[in-house]
Amino acid sequence: MRFAFTEDQQLLQQTVHEFLQAECTAERVRGFWATETGRSPELWSQLAEMGVTGLLVPEEFGGLGMNDIDMVLLMEEVGRAGLAEPLISTAAIAAPLIRDLDNAELSRAWLPRIAAGEAIIAVAHTCNAFVSDAHIADLILVRHPQGDEIHGLVRDQCALTAEPANDPARRIFSMDWTPKPLTRIAESGRARRLWADVLSRGALATAAQQLGVTAKLIDLAVAYATERKQFGSPIGSFQAVKHHLANVRVQLEYAQPLVYRAAHSVATRAPARATDVSMAKSAASEAAAAAAKVSLQVHGAIGYTWEQDVHVWMRRAWSLGLAWGSAAWHRERIANAVLDQNAPAESFGYGASIA
Amino acid sequence: MKILVCLKQVPHKDARLEIGSDGTWIKEDGIKFEINDYDNYALEEALRLKDAGEAEVVVATIGPDRVTQSLRTALGMGADRAIHVWDDSLANADSLGIAKVLAAVAKEENFDVVFCGLMSDDSNYAMVGPMLAQLLDIPHVTAVVKTDFENGAVKVEKELEGGTLEVSQVPLPCLLAVQTGINEVRYASLKGIMQAKKKPLDKKALSDIGLDGAAVAPKLSIEKIYTPPKGEGANLLSGSADEIATQMVGKIKELGLL
Repeated sequence: MRFAFTEDQQLLQQTVHEFLQAECTAERVRGFWATETGRSPELWSQLAEMGVTGLLVPEEFGGLGMNDIDMVLLMEEVGRAGLAEPLISTAAIAAPLIRDLDNAELSRAWLPRIAAGEAIIAVAHTCNAFVSDAHIADLILVRHPQGDEIHGLVRDQCALTAEPANDPARRIFSMDWTPKPLTRIAESGRARRLWADVLSRGALATAAQQLGVTAKLIDLAVAYATERKQFGSPIGSFQAVKHHLANVRVQLEYAQPLVYRAAHSVATRAPARATDVSMAKSAASEAAAAAAKVSLQVHGAIGYTWEQDVHVWMRRAWSLGLAWGSAAWHRERIANAVLDQNAPAESFGYGASIA
Repeated sequence: MKILVCLKQVPHKDARLEIGSDGTWIKEDGIKFEINDYDNYALEEALRLKDAGEAEVVVATIGPDRVTQSLRTALGMGADRAIHVWDDSLANADSLGIAKVLAAVAKEENFDVVFCGLMSDDSNYAMVGPMLAQLLDIPHVTAVVKTDFENGAVKVEKELEGGTLEVSQVPLPCLLAVQTGINEVRYASLKGIMQAKKKPLDKKALSDIGLDGAAVAPKLSIEKIYTPPKGEGANLLSGSADEIATQMVGKIKELGLL
């Protein structure tokens, strides 16, 4: 069995990496913060043209028909670039959700538009306090709290209130809405199962972005520690600095396989996918938080300045850490799976007979 | 129109380069490679011709197995097929050896235009293009910054020193060695890369194109590569502008440079 990404997957990652390196510089990301929507229709269109928005859209609807394993490496690059466009909600969650609804009308209405970059979809999930990017969403997916129903709302079917965010890349909203039969797109057990996948995909894609954010924060700190001299030597040569950076690198190395494993579990619908995703998200969140702290510390006072780019990724680390369940929230979910008196083994992918 | 684009895979611009143990080249283990930047512009120029009408774009490269990734990228950008030539005897090939191999590839088909980059980012010789044109007995233009194809010929603008341009009319077939900045290079799309798997990629040995190791044996060998040592003894002049100017003139006279 091969436990590695294929050459194709690596080539796709490198292609997106090079595109984002050139088109999504820190300066450009800062530029998006100052716009009214905080988003770049031009970049979104380029991402769609490249095939990123339609990666999980079936080929018959103009997408690439690929899976969550292919997606995870691209999300890593999105995190590395500090890009906050709504790829998680639109490309990683909504596209497979609509695909899995088996609703021909809905698929025809939305999947080609997602692939073409003509539709942005937001997702309101109770593990997030607010809804990201609802202000530009063509469709908002939400679960009715009093029933097992998933609803799809267009913007005039809900009332949005902008909320403050410490990451200027984020645009978050609280939302009031009333469920109506017309907006219902799934119900009962089917809705419950699909909504569980929404959480898995949201947490997985976020964890993958956190890997990229962590790697970037390490790169920034290493570059600064190599250049900045004290006592006649680069500060990176001092153990008090390099050990901190090495520790974060170790955390990243441990988080990476957990995220890749979770991607495999989600793509193959493994029974343990919920716990695999929680292990990935908690490890990736902790790695990103540690990277933010250490990178800021290595930069010293200059790290607090607006001009230094470290805060671009530090804020991403903080906001992604809270999105789709914090590390603590996911650890609790793992603990509940371990301590579940009824089906502890099944939570980790083992059948009853094996247990 | 049938177009050949010659590509070279070079170390990635972000790769951390170290000189190899024999001192004649860099360590290639563990570094990333990419398509030579000049060649990207050459490929884009060919793809624009294809977009504008009937044209087949064939990319060719020489190198070990790793170069297939660059060919896949080129196919993902829109090239129709790829040719990969390799033989261990090409490991130390010089510009003439490379040009002979590309000429043998080109002679197997009747290409109307051969595009290549002006030079490579790693060795900077800028010789393969002109040598290849000579071996194919076709006209060539280097440092091309604009092309306009019409009626079996191409009007070419070539960059000269100081921002001057030279305009010439070249009959087809011809070879054009392209300068960077001639166009805006497209990105390979993910769809293009997946479709590229279905496009032909011909692997050829030297014997397949009528050559052998002796024919491409290098006439030029690299004695060593090294990082120039940092200079010592820099004098920092201080004072007002007049004082600095006076000190500088004195120094120049002292060194006998005036």
